Amino acid sequence: MVSEAIFEAINRLLSSHAIESKLLNENEIYSEVTQASIKDDCISIYNNIDCVLIDLFGNDTSQINNSITIYYTFAVRSSNTLITLYVKLDKKSSLHIDSIAKEIPAASLYEREIQDMFGVSFVNSLDSRELVHHGNFPLNVHPLNKDFKANTRLNFEKREQSYTSISGTGVFEVAVGPVHAGIIEPGHFRFSVAGEPIINLEAKLYYTHRGLEKLSENENYMKVLLFSERISGDETFTNSLAYCQAIEKINGITYLPERALYSRTIFAEFERICSHLGDISGLCVDTGYIFANGQFAMMRRWIQVLCEQLTGSRFLRNTNKPGGLRKDFIRNNEKLIIDCLNNLDKEFRETVNIVKNNGMFIDRVEHTGILSNAIAVDLNAVGPGGRASGINTDVRKEFPYAAYSKLKFNVPQHNNCDINCRMNVKIEEIIESISIIRQALDKMPEEGSISIDIGNLKPYSYAFGMTESPRGENIHFVMTGENNTILRYKVRTPSFCNWPVLCHAVNTNTLTDFPLINKSFNLSYAGNDL
Amino acid sequence: MHNIIKKMFQHGTVTVDYPKKPIKSSYITGVPEFYYTKCKRCSKCINSCPTGAIALVDNDKQKEKSPAVNIDECIFCRFCEDACPNKAVLLSNKFELAQKSRAALRATPLLVQDDVVKDLDYELLGRQLKEKVKKFYGKSLNIREVDAGSCNGCDYELNALGSPYNDLERLGIQFVASPRHADMLMVTGCVTRNMEEALIKTYNATPSPKLVIAVGACACSGGIFKNSYAGRNGVDCVLPVDVYIPGCPPRPQALIYGILKAIGRL
Repeated sequence: MVSEAIFEAINRLLSSHAIESKLLNENEIYSEVTQASIKDDCISIYNNIDCVLIDLFGNDTSQINNSITIYYTFAVRSSNTLITLYVKLDKKSSLHIDSIAKEIPAASLYEREIQDMFGVSFVNSLDSRELVHHGNFPLNVHPLNKDFKANTRLNFEKREQSYTSISGTGVFEVAVGPVHAGIIEPGHFRFSVAGEPIINLEAKLYYTHRGLEKLSENENYMKVLLFSERISGDETFTNSLAYCQAIEKINGITYLPERALYSRTIFAEFERICSHLGDISGLCVDTGYIFANGQFAMMRRWIQVLCEQLTGSRFLRNTNKPGGLRKDFIRNNEKLIIDCLNNLDKEFRETVNIVKNNGMFIDRVEHTGILSNAIAVDLNAVGPGGRASGINTDVRKEFPYAAYSKLKFNVPQHNNCDINCRMNVKIEEIIESISIIRQALDKMPEEGSISIDIGNLKPYSYAFGMTESPRGENIHFVMTGENNTILRYKVRTPSFCNWPVLCHAVNTNTLTDFPLINKSFNLSYAGNDL
Repeated sequence: MHNIIKKMFQHGTVTVDYPKKPIKSSYITGVPEFYYTKCKRCSKCINSCPTGAIALVDNDKQKEKSPAVNIDECIFCRFCEDACPNKAVLLSNKFELAQKSRAALRATPLLVQDDVVKDLDYELLGRQLKEKVKKFYGKSLNIREVDAGSCNGCDYELNALGSPYNDLERLGIQFVASPRHADMLMVTGCVTRNMEEALIKTYNATPSPKLVIAVGACACSGGIFKNSYAGRNGVDCVLPVDVYIPGCPPRPQALIYGILKAIGRL
């Protein structure tokens, strides 16, 4: 067992500091360390084991041990293991902790989030500005603390927000948003521009912060399923799938009916096709290539209508539930799916052929929005954005879920780091997805149920659910409370990782290229803001 | 070029004739409907509803109190359908749900919160505006979309209105880039704390006379994100709303229906 070998390695590394270590849910290692040693321990794990920081979050565990717990989660992607270091901070006296952002840059945003939501201060942090609250929250009010009620109405305050400012002759600032020119979500962008090229971009998000994590607290797990479906509208299925996996792990369910596993795979791939077709269509709009836009939008609609015919929802809502699926949606509809896939396959290849032979289109996307491999590694870029910059990571391969371990597929990877590469990754992924769905339909057993009863939730247990959403690695942490409620629901979507990466990818490009670069990543605002 | 022209002929016109002809609706998820003859008043649907949209109300035709749904709060999650032991509640295919007042969407009277009261004056004002709008806009309408904290499902459906299938521009309706060019605001989301100021600014930047449409369950009532510290319960807590389009998310045809209702073409 690989996870056990890593467990021993970690125990050796942390020999003197670790208070308690345990291996749970087959591949999740949890080690408690002290407040004084957490920084050194994180860095020693980061340096000695081939892993990346994928999550960092707080949890008010005052019901259990009167403290705030901070979790540092690392993923060993090569050997299917999650390492979580956690530290308990006494709620009354010591809500401060050493920052690790200088050594592990990906940690910076997580630390700012914890600072806003729990009031934990990070010593020697890279950036200690507000992230979620936008200066309208009263000071010393931290929504994820247990003594804060979810329906509290707070007064509006007005504190000035500071931005990274670059000064010099001929440098000026362009502010865009939060209300944009197109039909997209709100976010504020500050461009520092010297003539035409952008020299710095700061993205201010969290305009669509709805308090999803707080609303999930102390709610029945079936209601939280609905929240998970509404994290980001177009990633409904993968988000709810990650949540369901976490709940299943908590209850020790290791085996679901085959039909459920294959159905989940099929729906997850439909969502990916739909999302990627929308992205490619959007890229064509932004270059003024209306013919191709219409073609891809038409194909996207085919898939949406198919999803609606199967499940009754164009966004695959009300499809998933812990323990399987709500109904046997695929039964008797195999021919419908195969016909649609055949049409899509032919039409897609022909249209891609036309688009790729258009020199003017390729001119716009080639060598634009370059995201260097070094930055992508440092900030943990995931999904097609990372794969186009030479990071070969895919949850479907590394932490296989549903029926992916039984199917053959490739993970496309490119190394030129520009928009063209990201588009090519998406194009190849659509073709792979079509093949995955065909294989799954072939292998799916005729007989068998579609869900199992998961029973009551084990109180005070926790687990991670991971899926590969169309935008990339998706991580949900669930901790249960008593009576089938959820105590803490932490969501880290791929958008959270890729927003800072986008800000680096636009540097040295012109302002007019920004919409194109933005579209090539196609990040979710709602999925980041929660 | 040859290939492009070939493709155009291959597909012909793909646009649907929606407002003129009804669309195929066998697989559409619409509003829940109650069959009172089967209903045993066991209240299981009421307890299962995650947004509290179902309530027992006095019904003219029924002798005893019967369950009914407040459509502005319904997120079409099918929990009531699953919970009912007698199959007395089923999700229908009715998607044309837009209404000009929130009361028309509700079975129970609206409980007005403290911070909503100031909008009463607005409502009167809005009604007068509507009369003018008919006169002013005639057959063309420019829309500005504002996301005030949605999950982006509604935004994708609004985007789909521009696709070849729905092609809203054939009705003389188009989405514009600036509120200064707009006659109508379509607002999605529950109006989050961080977006409130931007939404009011956008409203003020839109020249009068103007219409406001609340799109989706969140914008109509707060939906599943009701009573959050980080948001309001719908757009009408902040702005006067002319038309409500419920749904989670409302499908493109439901949006077209709502827009047409707003300009009084239906």
